[in-house]
Amino acid sequence: MCDTCGCHINEHTDTKTVEVHESLLAANREQARKNRAHIEAMGAVAVNMISSPGSGKTTLLEHTLDRLAGKMKIGVIEGDIETERDADRIRKKGVPVVQLTTGGACHLDAPLVHKGLHALEHQSKDGKFDLIFIENVGNLVCPATFDLGEHERIILVSVPEGSDKPAKYPTTFHGADTFVITKIDLLKYFDFSLDEARTEALQLNSGLRILQVGAPAGLGMDDWITYLQELPAR
Amino acid sequence: MHELSLAQGLLDQLAGLAVEHGASRIVTVHVDIGTDAGIVVDSFSFGFDAIKGSDKLTANAVLAINRTAGPDLILTRVEME
Repeated sequence: MCDTCGCHINEHTDTKTVEVHESLLAANREQARKNRAHIEAMGAVAVNMISSPGSGKTTLLEHTLDRLAGKMKIGVIEGDIETERDADRIRKKGVPVVQLTTGGACHLDAPLVHKGLHALEHQSKDGKFDLIFIENVGNLVCPATFDLGEHERIILVSVPEGSDKPAKYPTTFHGADTFVITKIDLLKYFDFSLDEARTEALQLNSGLRILQVGAPAGLGMDDWITYLQELPAR
Repeated sequence: MHELSLAQGLLDQLAGLAVEHGASRIVTVHVDIGTDAGIVVDSFSFGFDAIKGSDKLTANAVLAINRTAGPDLILTRVEME
């Protein structure tokens, strides 16, 4: 308040304007940048898998590891609010795996993944990997806002969830590199339009790569595996 | 999403700026909120107003939100005294 006339007009006071121009999402972004460099120093490419709970992320990973574990050096970082159940499943495939539990947060963030990367390094003889999978907390909303330092962001939607999901979650699909439609063996039981899902996803993100799989039955797995094998070169 | 923790982060940043510039009161806080930032503007504004009173530095601060395109939440400038 101005001492002279009691008004609140800025010119009367010692108000100064400070130009800042800083992102408030900067802290996570900075750690993500460091994570990315760290992953590259490990020789790897990292993939962030995002989907609703139960879309089939862990199952797809299990079947992926069955086919790739001998051919590429793979590490997995699992993210959940509670339990080590997903890491236990991955451990049975014989690859280095770390479970991150947030205890409440609905998404992984870069600082947590940073800890995961160090823990993963300790599990391998030389700390070197070709491919690191980061399975995010099951959630189609919040993970989209947090860069973890990944090179490739994959969104999964399963057939039972419905083909309207891309349209309903635009921010998530805007930020994605690849869209995988899972559980395609169930197409005959559900009202899922592959055409709607693809078209609406591409409308949001014209550069999106789209794949479809039915992992337990091996459907679409050749294309998925080829895609993963080509990632380090890109 | 996470508007309240972002608002807390903003308050922390304002506290730092106040020390840097020798200010005792934040008057106006200007932020750009992008449409793809995944942030609900009303929730952010509500969160900021709910917690700004915890410090007399920010107790009467006005949050001025400029909606922009893009994925970011940027603190552009601060008026302080």
